[in-house]
Amino acid sequence: MNILDWATSLQAYLVVGTCLFLLGVFAVLSRRNTIGILLGIELILNAAGINFVAFSKFRAAAIDGQVFTLFVILIAAAEAAVALAVILRFYRLKETINADEANILRN
Amino acid sequence: MTPEMMTNLKLFAPEIALTFFLCTLFVYDAVLPSLRKTLFPLIVIVFGMGLAIWATADVATGVQTYFSGMIANDGFGNFFRIFFFATAAICAIVAYGSKELETSGRTEFGLLLLCITFGLSLMANATHLLTLYIGIETASILSFAMAGFARHTLRGNEASIKYLIFGALSSGLMIYGFSLIYGYTGSLQYAEIGKYLTAHADGRPLIVLFALFLIYGGIAYKISAFPMHFWTPDVYEGTTSPVATFFSVGPKAAGVAALIRFFLTACATKTGEGVWTSIPGLSLPNAVAMIAAVTMLIGNLSAIGQTNVKRILAYSSIAHVGYILMGLVGMEKTGLTAILFYLVAYCLMNIGAFWVVGIVSDIKKSEDLSAFRGMGWSSPTLGVCMAVFLFSLTGIPMFSGFIGKFLLFGALLKAPGFLWLAIFGVLNSVVSLYYYSKILKAMYFERDEQVVALDLLPLHRAGLVLLAIPTVVLGLFFGPVIEFAEKAVLSFL
Repeated sequence: MNILDWATSLQAYLVVGTCLFLLGVFAVLSRRNTIGILLGIELILNAAGINFVAFSKFRAAAIDGQVFTLFVILIAAAEAAVALAVILRFYRLKETINADEANILRN
Repeated sequence: MTPEMMTNLKLFAPEIALTFFLCTLFVYDAVLPSLRKTLFPLIVIVFGMGLAIWATADVATGVQTYFSGMIANDGFGNFFRIFFFATAAICAIVAYGSKELETSGRTEFGLLLLCITFGLSLMANATHLLTLYIGIETASILSFAMAGFARHTLRGNEASIKYLIFGALSSGLMIYGFSLIYGYTGSLQYAEIGKYLTAHADGRPLIVLFALFLIYGGIAYKISAFPMHFWTPDVYEGTTSPVATFFSVGPKAAGVAALIRFFLTACATKTGEGVWTSIPGLSLPNAVAMIAAVTMLIGNLSAIGQTNVKRILAYSSIAHVGYILMGLVGMEKTGLTAILFYLVAYCLMNIGAFWVVGIVSDIKKSEDLSAFRGMGWSSPTLGVCMAVFLFSLTGIPMFSGFIGKFLLFGALLKAPGFLWLAIFGVLNSVVSLYYYSKILKAMYFERDEQVVALDLLPLHRAGLVLLAIPTVVLGLFFGPVIEFAEKAVLSFL
């Protein structure tokens, strides 16, 4: 099995998807910047998107997975729009977008 | 238009009616902004919801899926449709009298409310992962905007940002879970997933369990069950009261419906009339029992030390999700009936309690226990209604909350081996009595140094009494509602 065959196999897509997922989770856990956290979440969504497309081609032989990916992209855009508005509002009041600064509501 | 499309659209009539009134409100608000100050938005919402309920009753015949198997039309889903529409109408009334929402914000609140209700209805009726995803995201994304309604306060913005980060993360993880399930089973349809998982029980990779856990996490975020509960108190405290009122009822009920539908169809098989067995190698009853126990324990223990009443109610709402999940342990019809009845009771008493907190915080600018001092004497209506809601939330006999808990515990005793959970639930109810009675004590046995006159709007008085009466009546004449819930469960797809 040469490298080109492997690169177009299901495993290759899944490896990329898993890497993206892990990087996304790592970004969410380690970033303090709210926009950084959102970028991490986008990575997770795209990992799911890659999985869906790959499975739809190799596993299900139907296009429903690809349709799902389109919806994931669409909804991620809607989410980003609302998220940036919320973050902007927070920045206006607090002059920072650091997630640690959101700390008034406590026990 | 083919006949099939006509049938599909007919079955989707409640949501179409909702969308129509949403557009009406939107256009009128853009063209005639002066209508914001009038009763017009409220009338449109209440009338629209009434019409949607009527349309639901109209389509509530037969059990089928439509839109190529994406959405279910069954008694269970229609029960929840009516529940959401009614909740939306009540919340619109709650928001109308609130001073926390500026007059201009009321129409926006109504618009967001209707949009979210649409999402909730999709969530409860989804039989396909794509519909579930669209429903959850419609509800979530708009909720982020709704949570930020107190836009000039730091607390409101913090609530919004916390809700946003946890919500986006949990839905992202859920989507990843969907993709793994899709890869393993090759289908997005609940029923197909269930068939595949049952047929391939041997040698099931561990990743399937991981995927199911991620999906549970996404739904648990909506119902604020363990392990995705921690955002609840912060968000409820930071956001405005009408928003917290809605969040504590609508999305939770939708999450419970989605949870029941997904796990009973995709991870269990129907083995008889209203009886389900989980697929081999996966013990749903044990998992649900553990989650229920931990959820109610966390909710009740965290509520004990709180002094902010909204925060107490937020933790109590976590505990109530724990009680509700107990009904799913037996995986048969009495438990599900109990869940539906409990949701109705919970809707009335919880909206009432949050509404009282909203009214008090409007007048006294504080939600602290000290703001409730002497309230029972200075405003008897508010005091008596709050007492009714709190008694019912505790589960004291003669109130609807008691009947709900009684049914839940009764269903649990039918499932062998879960006596410990029933005893645990009763003990938890006893713990909850402590923090609810703290509010009662402040209302009736403590005096306020400066007496502030609490003048209620007629709307508040009438609304609270109209919520308090069914809370008591459902504790005495519960038969019809239970029958209705049972019928709904029996026609579960």
